[in-house]
Amino acid sequence: MSLKFAYYPGCASKEITRESSDTTLKVAPLLDIELKEMPKANCCGAGLLKDYDYKLHLAMNARIFAEAEGMGLDIMTICSTCLMVMSTANSELKNDEKLLAETNELLGEAGLTYKGTIDIKHFLWVVMKEVGAEKLKGLVKRPLKGIRLASFYGCHTLRPSSVLGFDDPLNPTSMEEITAALGAESVDYDGRTKCCGFQADLVTEEVALAMTAKRLLSAKDSGAHSVVTPCPFCHINLDSYQSKAERVAGRKIDIPVLHFTQALGIALGLSSKDMGLDRHMVPLQDLLDSI
Amino acid sequence: MEITVKVKRCNPQGNADCKPSWQSYDIKAEVGMSVLEVLLDVIAGVDPSLVCRRSCRSAICGSCAMKINGRPLLACDTQIIEEYEKAGRIELEPLDNHRVIKDLAVFQEPPWDEFDKIIPYLNEKDKDVAMTAEDEHAIDASQKCIMCGSCNSVCNALEMEKNYLGPAALAKAWRFVGDVREGKKEKRLDRLSQEHGIWDCVRCVHCTEYCPKDVAPLSAIERLRDKAMAYGIDDNHGAKHSTAMVDSIRRVGRLDEAAMTFKTLGLLRSIGMIPFGMKMEMHGKMPHPVVLPAIDGIDEVRKIMDKREEEKKKEELD
Ligand code: SF4
Ligand code: SF4
Ligand code: FES
Repeated sequence: MSLKFAYYPGCASKEITRESSDTTLKVAPLLDIELKEMPKANCCGAGLLKDYDYKLHLAMNARIFAEAEGMGLDIMTICSTCLMVMSTANSELKNDEKLLAETNELLGEAGLTYKGTIDIKHFLWVVMKEVGAEKLKGLVKRPLKGIRLASFYGCHTLRPSSVLGFDDPLNPTSMEEITAALGAESVDYDGRTKCCGFQADLVTEEVALAMTAKRLLSAKDSGAHSVVTPCPFCHINLDSYQSKAERVAGRKIDIPVLHFTQALGIALGLSSKDMGLDRHMVPLQDLLDSI
Repeated sequence: MEITVKVKRCNPQGNADCKPSWQSYDIKAEVGMSVLEVLLDVIAGVDPSLVCRRSCRSAICGSCAMKINGRPLLACDTQIIEEYEKAGRIELEPLDNHRVIKDLAVFQEPPWDEFDKIIPYLNEKDKDVAMTAEDEHAIDASQKCIMCGSCNSVCNALEMEKNYLGPAALAKAWRFVGDVREGKKEKRLDRLSQEHGIWDCVRCVHCTEYCPKDVAPLSAIERLRDKAMAYGIDDNHGAKHSTAMVDSIRRVGRLDEAAMTFKTLGLLRSIGMIPFGMKMEMHGKMPHPVVLPAIDGIDEVRKIMDKREEEKKKEELD
């Protein structure tokens, strides 16, 4: 039986990291996952909308949920920040009738309602729980043999666990289990479950870059050949801003960063072009040659 | 049950770089014993040089917070056998982001100095204000804080920026700003919006994850930001960043990164980013604001936003 979701890549994965969404759209059918586009979906606000106005944040998120509800599908995203923002909003709406009613009053202005019936999942969870490592193993065409990966989870993939609850926030294992199924080795390192600093890029840039540098260096020094992350925002800091982080660190780092979706894509036999690997700022060629 | 308890020990005696070392104690644990009880037994019977903090022994004073198997927990509220069975080991360390006094005891000046900075008492209004159950609910979580410092110990922003007020103090700040009886909200929010205040948080959610009392400091910080902007205190990068996001959603329904950079940083700093932007462009990584099309149903988005702005005008700021 094939899995079917309303697909919410998130704004980053539609634009700046669109290689991740492009890869997802090619990987999903190989895993028997059917993805339906959400043409109306707005931005979840990435938490910034919540800073501005809590009720507007709930209403804008509920507008996204209403579209999926209309399609009769749960949402699947490939963005950890969207996952955290939408899941916490959804849980608040589902558990508080008054809040849901107030939010629906705002939605009513646009002729919409949200009944509170859908769930939100990350692609990582779907692969882990609904596809499963065993099935995945059978589909691997190009095992990531000899590759040591540093999984960088991203804060919003794991926390708050009271709402997300998919993996242990302190000692998560899903990324390592999936990449092991793809044939890769994993390294343990200090920055694995810490913050990349993305949300501070435009606010306190020096802090953000120092954080990015620290996480990358701990991955590099653990002997990893590449970082792999399920969050596009982490990818922006770890890959796109790596050269800036090097400046702050005062040292060359030079470690490629894969999207989680690309790790799947490589192992399932997609071409570099399919996965937009040329779009990365830190070149991946050496890594690919060694597989 | 026989358990080996490993303790990360260090005796800095004013010296900042003291090299910690691990020491093991073999102990006999009985069902019902907390990690703290075991430590007190060790200190009383085996090794009086071992140091930890405690006062209430009943999870209300916040004194005994430490890292137990990597996670900040209250030692008096953690069953040793349960923890051992879960993790297969007992490893105790002092809290991160705190200066160590000795072994497991840390200086609690941060966060206590920071509590002072947020003025931890009510400035009453001229007139009496009755508090409803709903009013109380808004600050309920933040009143449960026992000042244990666990949230500060895992805060990613604090790890990099020692001058940040930190989640513990900010949760406390919301306890006052969110209180209907408080008379100086605007003044408080103004101070909290200054450098190293509410806008230093990088939304890593660690504080909320590990607080032993479910205070959810991040939610408190988000409420403080929301309130500060409602008061029009928005002349800072953080508030400009959030406002730029709202503008972007109104215009195209989604994130417009180029426009957000411009609106957050202003013309001069944005120009400074051009060389880097060109490098991103070579990899097709620069978003193009001019051609970014609006989502389907953008009218719905605008209608909802207009309606909410109308509502907000009616909501009184007190
Ligand atoms: S907010 Fe929670 S973790 Fe932080 S000091 Fe208070 S009780 Fe401890
Ligand atoms: S969410 Fe903010 S305050 Fe809380 S731990 Fe992370 S950076 Fe610190
Ligand atoms: S001794 Fe008071 S909280 Fe543990």
